[in-house]
Amino acid sequence: MDYQWKKLYRLSFLIFKKVKNKNKYIEIFIKSLSIDKKKFTEKLKYNDIPEWDSIGHMTLMSTLEDGFNISIDTDDIIDFSSFKKGIQILKKYKIT
Amino acid sequence: MKINKLKNFAKNIRKNIIFTAFKAGSKSAHIGGALSAADIIAVLYSGIMKIKKTKILDENRDRFILSKGHACLALYSALVEKKFLKKKDLETFESDGSNLLGHPIINKLSGIEFSTGSLGMGLALGVGVALAAKKKQKNYKTYVVLGDGECNEGSIWESVLSASHFKLDNMTIIVDRNNFQQTGKNSSIMDLKNLKNKFKSFGCETVEIDGHDIKKIYKSLINKNLNKPKVIVANTIKGKGIKLFENDNNWHHSIITKSIYKNILKEL
Amino acid sequence: MNIENNIKLWSNLGMRATFGLIAMELAKKYPDLMITTSDVSTSAGLDRYKNKYPDKFIDVGIAEQNLIGVSAGLSSEGFKVISTTFSPFQTLRCCEQIKVHLGYMKHKICMVGLASGLVLGNLGFTHCSIEDIGSLRSIPNISIVVPSDPFELFKALNAAIEHKNSVYIRLTAGANSKIINAKNYEFKIGKAVEILPGKDVVIIGCGNILGNCLEAASILREKKIQCSVVNMHTIKPIDKEIITDIAKENKLIVTVEEHNVIGGLGSSVAEILSGERNNCKLVRVGINDFYSSGGSYEYLKDIYGLSVEKIIQTVLSNF
Repeated sequence: MDYQWKKLYRLSFLIFKKVKNKNKYIEIFIKSLSIDKKKFTEKLKYNDIPEWDSIGHMTLMSTLEDGFNISIDTDDIIDFSSFKKGIQILKKYKIT
Repeated sequence: MKINKLKNFAKNIRKNIIFTAFKAGSKSAHIGGALSAADIIAVLYSGIMKIKKTKILDENRDRFILSKGHACLALYSALVEKKFLKKKDLETFESDGSNLLGHPIINKLSGIEFSTGSLGMGLALGVGVALAAKKKQKNYKTYVVLGDGECNEGSIWESVLSASHFKLDNMTIIVDRNNFQQTGKNSSIMDLKNLKNKFKSFGCETVEIDGHDIKKIYKSLINKNLNKPKVIVANTIKGKGIKLFENDNNWHHSIITKSIYKNILKEL
Repeated sequence: MNIENNIKLWSNLGMRATFGLIAMELAKKYPDLMITTSDVSTSAGLDRYKNKYPDKFIDVGIAEQNLIGVSAGLSSEGFKVISTTFSPFQTLRCCEQIKVHLGYMKHKICMVGLASGLVLGNLGFTHCSIEDIGSLRSIPNISIVVPSDPFELFKALNAAIEHKNSVYIRLTAGANSKIINAKNYEFKIGKAVEILPGKDVVIIGCGNILGNCLEAASILREKKIQCSVVNMHTIKPIDKEIITDIAKENKLIVTVEEHNVIGGLGSSVAEILSGERNNCKLVRVGINDFYSSGGSYEYLKDIYGLSVEKIIQTVLSNF
């Protein structure tokens, strides 16, 4: 019984953390690319908007590293071509 | 346009060139290349360019760049005729501490826009100045005189490419094609072949004229050009105006002695 | 713009991309700004600037002599001009134009030399710049500034635009460059900054290689050598005062630069020291007047004695 509660507790903590991180991820996107909240959609891709150019991309990477205290591999920086792809990549770093 | 006024101006330029070169004495002077450019410069300064002594720094003045800087005696002489310089200033030519040296030194208050003399550099300045006019939406025109030998310099062609690319129809390039450079004929040092075609292929509105026909010089300068820089290849004679000097490359940079001066004065 | 928030970001971006960001700010501040380049926008982080301010941007194509002449023409008509391309082409290809237009006629241009030093070593020495400071030093009326990190580049560019002379700004290192200045500080062209106090030994460096100097100094402290480190960001006009003060109070000066030991920082310091009576030895670390085989930035720094270990060795063997 105790074990079940622990499992449930751990699961809800993980879910809570993932939701929190996802919200943080969205916030970082909006802040580092300096875009309006309204302009943001989860369908955003690199070069889709003028703000997500090469400089915007490096700013995004840098802010993600700072915000989640991780160091993103060069290959992942290059592969990080969209918001959704980013979620996949950040799984590797245990963020999403 | 009064042809005689322009012809007279050209005659006075030649008189001043000879006078100054003579006064320079053993310091010698670039004579042949100044004389070949004299008619071009005369028409520009007395018939075409919007410049005024009372408004010498006017933002809307036309700009003149003597990229073939060694022809400066023609420029200084024109500036004396326009009263931007005094005739006695010519006596300081190439003297210690003088502002009037063997190549022009920038002095906007005397009407000298830039220091030139290292060949191949004046045209880029012209491109910058003409571009500035476009950016500021000003109507002033930019005139650049090149030497033919000067067209050996790759930097000239960089500038021509860009003048065409930037559609600088507010810029006119005049090539003083006297067929000689320092040590000999262009054709034996570095043959320019068909210079007119070269400029044309670089995207310029190009004409070829007799560089001593005042009327033709004037007409080619006032002809309108749209979206392209204008190039006038002016066929000239090095040393033009003094029979002793004409087509003799020894007068590229030389000394006028008292006896030579006496003889040639008669021609002027 | 909150400066200190930007320090880490700028260091991650490196000097070139930071230049692009600074350009955006300068365009807002100076309506008569004009950035000119020779087919180099992306490499200078200027794509964003080019798209937002197309009439403040002029590309003359791969023609550096024309670049300087056109820039001078624009400057003579009142524009505030910043020209940029890769360091060797910004300085050597058009060196005479720099002499005539900037030195002789004093037309003011800020020239930003990208990827100077050894950072592009894997492209070969045509794309490295170890001669730029030496070549420009002998032209009057041109100041030479070597920012140590992107934050210093921000300060240097803002100072250069207001400076009376033309300024050549030499960018070093790439992305993820070392942070040398973590906090705000006063920057003045011609005034060196002591970034680590100490005694007996002084390392005087310029550019992002100061990161290696600081690391070396920290290890030397463990060996009981209280090495100080000075950031000589301005090579010309050199800060004579600090050099003569250092020479009076120390036994050894080691200059460190990603440049030939002939003609750059080391030579500038030597020129000052030779005019004074002092008991201070000078050792110049840098490119010892030869082109090595190419390779990565780290590989080349090691070959030329610019790695942390080799800087330490130089101090130890001369102290």
